Amino acid sequence: MVAIIFVASVFMLAARPLLPANVLGHPLAQQDIPMQPPQATPSLQAAPSAGPVIVLDPGHGGTDTGARGESGAVEKDVVLEFARSVRGELERQGFHVVMTRNDDSNPSYDDRAAIANANRDALFITFHISSTGSVGTARSYFYQFWTPIPAVVAATTGAQPSTPAAPGLTVWEEAQRPHVDASHRFADALQAEISQRFPNSPSRSIGVAIRGLRSIDSPAVAIEISSVSVSDPNSLTALAAPLATSIAQGVTAFHSASLTGSK
Amino acid sequence: MPRNLKIALGVLAIGVLVGLISLRGLHTRMQHLAETQAAEEKARREVLAPPIVTPTDIKAKAQVFWAVAPDRIAPVEVELELSADPVQRAKQVLHSLIEDPPTNDQRTVPADATVLAFYILPDGTAIADFSDALTSETPSGIISEQVTLSSITRTLAINLPGLRRLKILIHGQEVDTLAGHVDLTGYFDLNPNAPLQFPVPPAAANPSSSPSPTQQPRKPTR
Repeated sequence: MVAIIFVASVFMLAARPLLPANVLGHPLAQQDIPMQPPQATPSLQAAPSAGPVIVLDPGHGGTDTGARGESGAVEKDVVLEFARSVRGELERQGFHVVMTRNDDSNPSYDDRAAIANANRDALFITFHISSTGSVGTARSYFYQFWTPIPAVVAATTGAQPSTPAAPGLTVWEEAQRPHVDASHRFADALQAEISQRFPNSPSRSIGVAIRGLRSIDSPAVAIEISSVSVSDPNSLTALAAPLATSIAQGVTAFHSASLTGSK
Repeated sequence: MPRNLKIALGVLAIGVLVGLISLRGLHTRMQHLAETQAAEEKARREVLAPPIVTPTDIKAKAQVFWAVAPDRIAPVEVELELSADPVQRAKQVLHSLIEDPPTNDQRTVPADATVLAFYILPDGTAIADFSDALTSETPSGIISEQVTLSSITRTLAINLPGLRRLKILIHGQEVDTLAGHVDLTGYFDLNPNAPLQFPVPPAAANPSSSPSPTQQPRKPTR
């Protein structure tokens, strides 16, 4: 009898891998992309260079994995690889680059914004991978704010009117609002380059309320690549080089246009 | 072969047989449990989100935005029983958006999502309170979240032209994002230039009666 119970127990244990992946954790879920050794923690200290500081923000991180593909691709790891690749390309072009994370940490939206806002003349780019969409396409986004309720309507209805910031101060939650036009131009400059290297991608950027952009007090864009649903995770890694080239070209074009426009 | 070994092997064989039978039974039970859960979930949804019927309902044409591609939505004309009460009308069109997509590929809002409450403030701000399935079951990604959000905002905007903007709550609480990307801490434009047409309380309608500093916020229309 003891032997029967023992054998049955062994079988019950052996049966565990047959349970659904979402109950026990799919083995592929643990197969994260190897991390590079942690580098210097992002500092809030302003960068000393005179040109724009490019703040690269790999989305998600830590327990927030972002989108997950059946092949094992995890958004937080792929976007970190993309950001590192873009960083290398931008530094080769002479830009000063700051990353909001360079390991498997997960700074809050405010922490990421604080890193960007500590730098004057920063350009902020956050990276994401979608869980749907045509594989191999990429899109740039800028923040789209809602229209404030007109003062006359607020007065008539007793609604709370928008509180304007005191002169010289910026409302943290709406820090991006004065930069929306510049962000739109920046996103278009990036998308023009992306559409040349990522077939079937749109030629213009899109306005969407993306949480990670809202408190950035400088031109800020999000770039989303499709998608984690690839059958081979290496096909995503292969997109890093064209993405880095596109962003470096787009940043250069936007920076040159800004310099021309300010003269 | 020694007798003891034969007995041990026999016991082992019986054990293997019992294990296999148990394993098959376990598998069947798990399948049954999954089916029961799905059926219970469907019944729960029907209880939580029954069709919205009001005394002022009349059959009318409505436009509901469903997906035509993974990154695009388009309006579909449907006939619905629509209430004269804008709050009930909003719930009815959102109910149709969730329950009646022509095909599963055209679905933009998770099937398990329900509208728990809907409010309209006097300034034309709509507040839609959804169940947490809206955030937990929308696929993560800027495109997919934007498709979900746009189908909600555009469906409301076209069928309730007096609504200026929308605030989305999840179980009565403000949340950061829809599924990791799209910002739910702010508002979304519906008809930002809509003329004011929602009930204005007498105190606000009469310019001679200025509100006192201690006046309590007005209750929204529910």
